[in-house]
Amino acid sequence: MSDVKIKDQKKERNSSFSTILSDAAAHSSFWPAVALVILLVACGIKSPGFLSVSVMDGHLFGQLIDIARNGVTPLLLAMGMALVIATGGIDLSVGAVMAISLAVSLTYIDGAADGGSMGTVIIAVVLGLFVALIIGTFNGFLVAVLKIQPFIATMILMVAGRGIAMLLTKGQITTVTSPPFKAIGAGFLFGIPMPIIIAIVLFVIMTLLVRRTAFGMMLESIGINREASRLAGVKSVSTTWIVYAVCGLMAGIAGIVYGAPTMAADANNIGLMKEMDAIMVVVLGGTKLSGGRFSLGGTVVGALILSTLERAVIIFGFPSQTTPLFKAVVLIVVCIAASPLFRERQRIRRARRESGRVAAA
Amino acid sequence: MAEQKVSHQPTSIDFIVPAKEKRRRFRVDRRFLPVIATLLTLLIMLVVGELRYGLGAGRSSFISMKVFSNLLVDNSYLLVLAVGMTFVILTGGIDLSVGAVVALVGLVMAQMFNAGASLPMAMLVAIAIGVACGLLIGTLIQVFEIQPFIASLAVMFLARGLANVVSDQSLPINNESFAALASWSITFGEGKGSWRINASMIIAFAVLAIGFYLLHYTRFGRTVYGLGAGDNAQAVKFMGLNAGRTTILVYVISGTCAGIAGILFALYTKSGFNLTGIGMELDAIASVVIGGTLLSGGYGFVLGSAAGVLVYGLIQVIIAREGLDSWWTKVFIGIVLLAFVILQRLISVRRK
Repeated sequence: MSDVKIKDQKKERNSSFSTILSDAAAHSSFWPAVALVILLVACGIKSPGFLSVSVMDGHLFGQLIDIARNGVTPLLLAMGMALVIATGGIDLSVGAVMAISLAVSLTYIDGAADGGSMGTVIIAVVLGLFVALIIGTFNGFLVAVLKIQPFIATMILMVAGRGIAMLLTKGQITTVTSPPFKAIGAGFLFGIPMPIIIAIVLFVIMTLLVRRTAFGMMLESIGINREASRLAGVKSVSTTWIVYAVCGLMAGIAGIVYGAPTMAADANNIGLMKEMDAIMVVVLGGTKLSGGRFSLGGTVVGALILSTLERAVIIFGFPSQTTPLFKAVVLIVVCIAASPLFRERQRIRRARRESGRVAAA
Repeated sequence: MAEQKVSHQPTSIDFIVPAKEKRRRFRVDRRFLPVIATLLTLLIMLVVGELRYGLGAGRSSFISMKVFSNLLVDNSYLLVLAVGMTFVILTGGIDLSVGAVVALVGLVMAQMFNAGASLPMAMLVAIAIGVACGLLIGTLIQVFEIQPFIASLAVMFLARGLANVVSDQSLPINNESFAALASWSITFGEGKGSWRINASMIIAFAVLAIGFYLLHYTRFGRTVYGLGAGDNAQAVKFMGLNAGRTTILVYVISGTCAGIAGILFALYTKSGFNLTGIGMELDAIASVVIGGTLLSGGYGFVLGSAAGVLVYGLIQVIIAREGLDSWWTKVFIGIVLLAFVILQRLISVRRK
């Protein structure tokens, strides 16, 4: 037993650069990371000042900071989505939830006597997030308790949610003036844009939640085989329920962070088709839509790919409305690179090369 | 030969011992329950309409050929989309690309007419675009084993991006034969009660009839139902049916329907616009689900989807007649969806 181990270690030590590369290639986040690096380098070559980050008025400035800031909304949505997808589900309602939570917060601030005070803003945000949590809980109830297919269960609120947000704002675009609320989306802390701080904090919390406790493993076991995980003692109903509630809450946070800089609740357009972006980000991050293994780190890479891609389109001088075209190309390329057929081909090619090497020796 | 036999769908009831069968024969086949619920909803909505805006309000009858004719004129494109979507959903898949394909087709047709293309030429290209999109989705799913959701999402982005490249403005369609086709109709009756049949309705009904025939009277249709069994096409393969080809074909059918729907939508709006069809795929999916098709695949009827489209259209008519703001439509559609999904769930629980 130990002999084998030593041999293995020797093998590893002797391993050439190419085998390290091929080991890395097998990792789920490898292709996404390559895509991100290629995009960044391409942008850096095209626009020389792209990679530089400067400090202005004590704040960080630069294209990279912009990209990170733009990646926050899809990332917040995608982190919740990744958990849902790990259980083999999907949440289509997140875009509508963004609109609802923002509408609730802004409607409260609009009606409050002192919209600019810290207390009002805190209550408004808590209210917005509470409603988002309720919606997530409703989705979770449909999926976990009533056992309705996640796609259709969450599609109900995807369709109706935007109508509900319109009811809240009475069909108007509610706009308020509230510096503390604006600071959530446009402020800085230690020179770093507030949304990035929020994203980092939530990422750390989520990572601790799923990787330092058994929660993440439970999610994956539900996604791989719900029945087997139930027999193994995983409370699949309550776990699934919690996951949808968390996803709703994250969507609520995303809505407030996204809408805060403009302080306008445009119920028709806020978060429109953002659920598709979020799902795309999760898949770009190397998580399979069929459930099971998921990667929060990969999801961050996915979100950065999306926001870098959006910026790259502008840097390379294409009209910004052609962005979906490039999204499609990246999505198809990354999915094909991760597909079983492609991996099998790679494996065969590698094996052939190795056997050729042996024959030569 | 085999195609004749399979037209009768074997159900679990067929395999129950004869003694039990006798007792059950008088009961409605559970497969039909969701569709019956759809028809019942349709009926209730028509009755409500009759009471509030028709004879009940002292006016001419609400339930008339005119209402149905208007519903079909307004929703013929949705009917065609729903037929295609039914095939995909029956196999347990999904096609999110159809709305974007409708937008792309409209714009391409408008550009082609501007360049002096003839009507048949433009229509052929429109359908070819749909077929190509469907083929791409099917290939991604079948060959590269990418999930239907992601594969069709990628093609949705592709079609939407291409539509934006063609034009980011609304393009009016200026073509004489196209305008003639758009305004052509046969009018029945006279005065207020008159109703009409137009080209879109005829095309939509033709698509519906072809869909019905394919699904219920061919080997291909049987395979579609078989793919929805949720066993990774094991049963279908054991029966010697071609699972791979059928998977690709259902997406080609859905794409073709999206192409045709694009033509119908262009006939309806007489223009092409790159922002049309956002969320149209959800309208189609919702109609199919309201029409009694299970999203997990295997259960459902193309005629049910047609009834689902009528329910969908009728919700819009009633909201408009009530003078409510348009966003109520979405809320109501959500409520109807919720009711149907819970109903389907109850039925499938009882089936077990």
